[in-house]
Amino acid sequence: MGALARYTARRLLGAIPTMLVIITLSFFLLRAAPGGPFDMQRALPPQVKLNLERMYHLNLPLWQQYLDYLGNILRGNFGPSFVYRGTTVNQLIGQGFPVDIAIGLPALLGALLLGIPLGIISALKQNSWLDYFPMALAMVGISIPTFVVAPVLILVLAVMLHWLPAGGWSAGDPLYMILPAVSLGLPLIAYAARVMRGSMIEVLNSPYIRTARAKGLPERTVILRHALRPAMLPMVSFLGPAVVNTITGSIVVEEIFGLPGIGRFFVDGAMNRDYTLVMGVTVLYGLLIVLFNLIADVLYGILDPRVRFQ
Amino acid sequence: MPLFKRIALRRGFNIIGVLLTMALLGGCAPRRPGGEIHHYTVGTALAPPAQQVFIRSLASSPRTLDPSLSTDVMGFNVLTDLFEGLTQFNAQGQVVPGVASHWTVSKNGLRWTFFLRPDARWNNGAPVTAQDFAYAWQREVSPDTAAQYADSLSMIVNASAVINGTLPTSALGVHALGARTLQVDLVHPTPYLTAALANTYFDPLYPPTVRRWGLAWTQPPHLISDGAFYLASEVVNGRLILLKNPWFWDAGAVRLREEIDYPIKNAASKLDRYLADDLDFADDPAFPPSDIDWLRHALGSQVHVAPYYGTAYLGMLVHEQPFANRDLRLALSMALERNVLDDKLGRGLFLPAYSLMPPLAGYTQQLPAWARWPRAQRLAEARRLYAAAGYGPGHELRARLLYPTQGSAARHYVEAVTLMWKENLGADVHLWNEQWKVMLQDIQYKNAKLYWSAWIGNYLDPVTFMHQFQVGYPMNYGDFSYAPFQKLLQAAQSSNDNAQRYRYFEQAERVLGAQMPFIPLYFYTADNLVKPYVTGWHSNLLDVHPAQYIAILQHTVH
Repeated sequence: MGALARYTARRLLGAIPTMLVIITLSFFLLRAAPGGPFDMQRALPPQVKLNLERMYHLNLPLWQQYLDYLGNILRGNFGPSFVYRGTTVNQLIGQGFPVDIAIGLPALLGALLLGIPLGIISALKQNSWLDYFPMALAMVGISIPTFVVAPVLILVLAVMLHWLPAGGWSAGDPLYMILPAVSLGLPLIAYAARVMRGSMIEVLNSPYIRTARAKGLPERTVILRHALRPAMLPMVSFLGPAVVNTITGSIVVEEIFGLPGIGRFFVDGAMNRDYTLVMGVTVLYGLLIVLFNLIADVLYGILDPRVRFQ
Repeated sequence: MPLFKRIALRRGFNIIGVLLTMALLGGCAPRRPGGEIHHYTVGTALAPPAQQVFIRSLASSPRTLDPSLSTDVMGFNVLTDLFEGLTQFNAQGQVVPGVASHWTVSKNGLRWTFFLRPDARWNNGAPVTAQDFAYAWQREVSPDTAAQYADSLSMIVNASAVINGTLPTSALGVHALGARTLQVDLVHPTPYLTAALANTYFDPLYPPTVRRWGLAWTQPPHLISDGAFYLASEVVNGRLILLKNPWFWDAGAVRLREEIDYPIKNAASKLDRYLADDLDFADDPAFPPSDIDWLRHALGSQVHVAPYYGTAYLGMLVHEQPFANRDLRLALSMALERNVLDDKLGRGLFLPAYSLMPPLAGYTQQLPAWARWPRAQRLAEARRLYAAAGYGPGHELRARLLYPTQGSAARHYVEAVTLMWKENLGADVHLWNEQWKVMLQDIQYKNAKLYWSAWIGNYLDPVTFMHQFQVGYPMNYGDFSYAPFQKLLQAAQSSNDNAQRYRYFEQAERVLGAQMPFIPLYFYTADNLVKPYVTGWHSNLLDVHPAQYIAILQHTVH
């Protein structure tokens, strides 16, 4: 087995206790919150409440519910939603996650394809208008929150010009993806550009680049062969959590555009004490964070020869 | 079609205009669009069948489409189009015969016999039978179903015992006498039964699909319904598509071929979608209250603000001090300047409430006499009562008012209320907010003595409001137990004469006004936006708009 495979296996094994801690903490914190999933303004008659608790096994001791939940998770079963009765959490996540990916991936792609070149150009043309202008735009992109950008985009492109739908979702129809993906992607582009510029400037000022230039290498070769790879390292660190944040959906973007993603399930689930739904989304988030951090670390090792998989 | 072309087709493509507008808007981001609101020329003829598609919003995704389990307004809205009970709502929100073509009531009002239409059909073509109703109602009260509204059937013989598990479901007082006759036995006269029967928890179910698919029977294509539409697809938080049910007994009168429902929680987003022509009907709340003035100006008759069957009030724990003191309760209620609250904060979207019951046909609202007094006289009396209760300078009332974190309207309102109490009485009431579920628990566990509350009636009868103050009713959180009021409620409950019942309720409301176990704040309005080419849509007290009466008229957009 190669060093990389051994490293990956070790990291994956190490993720098990991490996930167990996440699940345990979330499970008990959620149950400690006041109010229950079936509390309504009109109080339930005691017998009806009892019937509900029996149906969802809430009448069992908490430790038993916890062990049952762990057993179900191992079988890949997140259980029934307490609030969307008749629907399982697996179904809800299966319905919502593809929507978040459909919005998140174009946003990420935009961040990479626009943000990285913008950052590189700014670094190469430092202190010129080619640096100031994109960086000023990036600052604007970072500073203006999505809940301002998205309504303005809707106002102009949907309400005033009627080019695009103001929200909603129709699976596979790109018209419905454009505004949410742009709203989600704009701050990402800005962040990517800032990160890339900073690391590129740092690399360009390092001694080995000076040596490369002193050897008379053409600037193009210096940048592409010697500077770009090490300059990408901070981008990899940035992209690990950014990918998870983006593909697990932005609650703000989902709310504004009325998208059926899992971000809204997370918030609505917590508000309504839908224990199983919140747990399901938490476990998914946890798994994705572990996975993408591992991918980032592996990429780090591939990009930086100084890192060894031990 | 290429994406760019589709975008261009939606409207002329002027990139410079867009960039300029975006640059301008980026700085100020106003809510009010610059003027590109569509106007319509509407004909009198119906649009062609292909265009009979009605797109509406829902305030959020329905929790379930199982009529027996549904408890939310959104579920009610969709289920009204999918299912038809013994009675149903018409376009004006009135209860009319549904699957039952007619019915008879025994002299004592305890036995109802419903006769079903021979042509009522499920959307798979099977006939709707009396057994389907009996099955659905037995399932509703079964402990195995654990339906939250099971006790809403408690007027039926043995319902409570079945819910408690002491009797089998077969003991429920509902019997199919053949395929088309349903007999219902009641524990007390229920003249409002036909109104209650239009609620979803009285809808029939198609037993084979429920038995086969269990709780998953509500997912298309398993969901079999008997209403004007059937469910073609559903994405939670996404959209629902309902198609015309060709087997519906009155399908000939249904003009829509499709209904699309978008759950949209945020009122500002809903308004944007409406203005962008993505919706034909934006449901309540269709817009943020602060937008009402310019919307009225810009959209005119598309804005529908009408009374809604709901009351917002402050609840009190009346068996504990300080609110056990009737004088204090009256003083607090009198000290509020409701017209100011509703003009300044409600912008005409709330109607000042001095009593419990919203306006209801056939029922005379019982306003306390002081509601009509001049301001100075009312405030003087409030101060007198406040002093009589033992409060005054140096000995101010100190209390905590609990309100929900969600919803800025409630926060603005309670802030103004406490300021008025401070100003008019000197009372020192401070605010405390909690997340909705936490607040509910605190109210139910009697941890809150003064709290924000509201009630929306399930059906058009005073009982749905009055029993909040009935001893033993689960929603009597304030523990109000004033004997004369309870006697009047019992008298109303045992009466078989609706007019007489209403008189009892009116007397009961007068008692409430004198005892003031709650502080009425305002009656709700339903705030909807409807495109002018939608016909068959009418404002009504329950804010119910069955799509079977709706149609799209021929129109041009400009």
